[in-house]
Amino acid sequence: MGKIIFILSFVSLCLCAEELSMQEQSAEQNCLNCHQQQQIPSSLIHKRYLMKYSTTKRIEEAIFTYLKHPDKAHSIMPSAFFSKFPMKEATTVDDSNLHKYIQNYLETFDIKKKLILEK
Amino acid sequence: MLSSEKRSLIRFLLIYLTSTFILFSFASWIFYSSAKHHLLDQQRETLKYEAEHIKSQLRALHRSDAEILYYPKSKHIRSAIYDLDKAYIFGTFKTKQILDVHTDGNILYHITKIEPYYLGAAYLLTAKEIDFKPIENLQKNILFFMFAAGIFFSILGYFLGRLFVAPMRDSIEQMNHFIQDTTHELNTPISTILTNIEMIETFGKHEENSSELKRIEIASKTLSRIYDDLTYLNLNHHYHRRVITLNISDLLKERIVYFSAMAEAKGLKVTINIEQDVILKMDKNDAVRLIDNIISNAIKYNKPKGILYIILTNEAFIVKDEGIGIRSKDLTTILQRFKRANKSEGGFGIGLDIVDQVVRNYGFDLQIRSQEGKGTEVMVKWEK
Repeated sequence: MGKIIFILSFVSLCLCAEELSMQEQSAEQNCLNCHQQQQIPSSLIHKRYLMKYSTTKRIEEAIFTYLKHPDKAHSIMPSAFFSKFPMKEATTVDDSNLHKYIQNYLETFDIKKKLILEK
Repeated sequence: MLSSEKRSLIRFLLIYLTSTFILFSFASWIFYSSAKHHLLDQQRETLKYEAEHIKSQLRALHRSDAEILYYPKSKHIRSAIYDLDKAYIFGTFKTKQILDVHTDGNILYHITKIEPYYLGAAYLLTAKEIDFKPIENLQKNILFFMFAAGIFFSILGYFLGRLFVAPMRDSIEQMNHFIQDTTHELNTPISTILTNIEMIETFGKHEENSSELKRIEIASKTLSRIYDDLTYLNLNHHYHRRVITLNISDLLKERIVYFSAMAEAKGLKVTINIEQDVILKMDKNDAVRLIDNIISNAIKYNKPKGILYIILTNEAFIVKDEGIGIRSKDLTTILQRFKRANKSEGGFGIGLDIVDQVVRNYGFDLQIRSQEGKGTEVMVKWEK
């Protein structure tokens, strides 16, 4: 009986880990790769969002709105930025996956992970 | 100092000092609250200054590209950052629901808003241990001030009180001198009358006018008793008591004989029950005043042809009459000087005051039971 429970737990853990890594891969493929290719500093953008919206929930909403309806009003960048760079197209990713990618992005740049106490 | 004067002075001092104390306590409390608030504000300024310093460090951290961000740490001050929804981000300490509190026991808090939200922080909470030393110094100073003011106002109150009761003391002294002079002048004629009546009775020359003589005797004895009471009250404080072993039974019998003429004149039936050789350690004059006043009241307020009970045991002295009685509301104040529950009979209202003084002097217990229209029972228990 114990063995069965152990095997079942092990299998479910492996599946979860696989799903998480798939999400990370998807976020990497769908978002960050493109950012890297175009030399867009994702960390700085995250800091901009952080400085304006403070909480993860608010940032997630703001990014979601911008990706679904990209315009100057929804962008974190100053309007002068768009006179030099074109406005991106609206994403075709479905809402549920988009939320997962954004959460993954925020998780990657979570400031709490970087902070430690001075010695 | 007379007891009434002392009483007035104590009452004045009590009212004066209590009201002054309340006023000063109130003023001190207001001053203490304001000064304490000021002291805490001074300490809070340190937190404000430190918060500004941390804020600038947060800005630097936000701009940093480093993989590890070192959160600033201070020796005496703790800090924490919270996001816009007041959720904890990071800090040197963690507290729950503290953003609406300014002090919590020994800790002083200060909240600084941060905008823009460096590192996502909308609020910076700084906290430090309250330095209680200046507050304790303030408390000590206020207590010292209250103590010094208390002494000053007690001395001032005492002199003011003496000043206020001075007119009362003068009138009491004048009254005492008057009573002293009057009683002194009354003594000689009363003694003369009583001696002559005694002589007439002794030599048997009174058959023809015996009833008139009886009335003169009663009137003279009443006058004599008033004289004795007044002298007793007047000299009470200066009077040197000679406490001796006194046979109360014999003394009571003597006094009953003394009052027999008065009781007879009112047609009273006197029922006597005296235990032999009841011995007490007492001044004789005190004992006479105690017995005389209780018996004379019982005769005076008894109904004509009523019964007068006089009982003496080793435990108590009881005098009961069938007279007009005392209203229950008057029973509590009947012992006060010049208090007369019934003005139908003559008198000054000093009798029961004297009884009460004697009872208190010797630690006896005085009980008065009375029913209006039925009679009064006065009981002096020798031991409480």
